[in-house]
Amino acid sequence: MNLLIRAVTIAALLHITPVVVLVKRPDAVHVLLPGADAYVAREVHLSAADAHRLHAAVDWSPEDGVLMFYGGTAGSTSVGALEFVRVDTPHGPIEVAVGFTPQGVVRGVVVTKATVEMKPWVLEAVAAGLTDHYRGLKPGGEAPGGAAGIASRVGSLAAYTAGEVDKGVARALAAYGAFYNHVRA
Amino acid sequence: MLYDLRRADIRIKWLVTCLLATLGLSYVFGALMVALYAGFTPQRVAATYAGSEMSMAMPPETTMVMQHPMSMADFAKPEVHTVDLNLLIQDTHVHVPMYGLIAAALGLVVAGLSLPRRRAMGLIVVLFAAPWLDFAGMWLTKLASPRFAIATLAGGWAMGVGYLIVAALALHQMWLSHERS
Repeated sequence: MNLLIRAVTIAALLHITPVVVLVKRPDAVHVLLPGADAYVAREVHLSAADAHRLHAAVDWSPEDGVLMFYGGTAGSTSVGALEFVRVDTPHGPIEVAVGFTPQGVVRGVVVTKATVEMKPWVLEAVAAGLTDHYRGLKPGGEAPGGAAGIASRVGSLAAYTAGEVDKGVARALAAYGAFYNHVRA
Repeated sequence: MLYDLRRADIRIKWLVTCLLATLGLSYVFGALMVALYAGFTPQRVAATYAGSEMSMAMPPETTMVMQHPMSMADFAKPEVHTVDLNLLIQDTHVHVPMYGLIAAALGLVVAGLSLPRRRAMGLIVVLFAAPWLDFAGMWLTKLASPRFAIATLAGGWAMGVGYLIVAALALHQMWLSHERS
C-alpha cells in the first residue's frame, strides 16, 4: 500500500499541466515590431549540415528543421524581425518571442506561453525585470543572463524558469545570427 | 468469497464510492482536455500526433528560404496543438504509470463485484488494454500512419466505457442490490 501511495504521488507530481497563452501572438508582434504595417514570414529550411551546426551551438533543433522569422515593415522601412522559440522543460513547454531591431540587436523579449504550473514562475520572473536583461544583446555577443540578473530577487522556481527563457533567447540569437540575413530567399 | 463489495463494511463502500466519484470527475476533465487539445475525430487526432512529421521531406542539400506576406490576422489564427516526438515520450512516461494505477484501482473494485469470473477477467483486461491502445495509437499515428488515430480514439472511449461499467456495477451492487448487507 505504501508503494502504491508513493507511486500515485510521484505520478501526480510528474503530470505535465496544459499550456496557457500568457500574451497573444498579435500583442507580442505589436510590442516587438512597433509601428509595422506589413509583415512577411521567412521560412528557413535548414540543410542537414546547418541543422547540425545550430544544434551543436545551442543544443536545439527547430521543429521539422524549419526556422520561422517574421519581418515587419512600416511603409518601405524595416522595423525588424522576430522569432517565436519553444523551449521544452521537464515542466512542459514555454514559448518565447524575441524581437530584433533592423540593426540586429534584441529589441525585446516576451514570454508568450507557459504551462499552468510554470505560469506563476514566469510572471514572478518577468515582474522582477527578467526581459530587461535581454535588450541590446547581439548574435555572437554576450550570452543571455536574465536568470543571473534576477536570481537575488526571486524564488528558486522563478530563477529556474528564467534560465529556460535564457535558453530560448540564446536559440533565437543563434538562429537569427546565422540564418536570418545570410540565406537568400 | 472473502472480498465482496455487496457485503463490505460501509466504510469500504464509502471509500470505493469516493474513489469512483473522484475518477469520474478526472475523466470528465480529461475529456474536456482532449476536446481542447486533440479532438474527438480521427482527423484532429491525426493532426495532433502525426503533425507535419508525416509529410516531412528530407532536409534540403543547402539551406533554403521561402517568404510570403502575412497579415496581423494570420498571427491571431488558432494554432493546431501538435505533439512532437519529445513531448510524446514525455507524455507516455507520465501518463502510462498513472493509467496503470487507475486501472489497478478499478480492477480492485471489479475483484469485489459479484460477477462471473470470466466477465471480471474480461473487464480487467479492458481496463488495462484501453490505455495501451490509446498510447499505441498515438505512437503508430506518429511513426506509421495517421490512420492509426482511430486506435487512440478507440482506446480513449474504451477507458471511458470501462470506467462507466465498473462504476455502474459497483454503485448498484453496493447501494441498490437486494443482496447487499
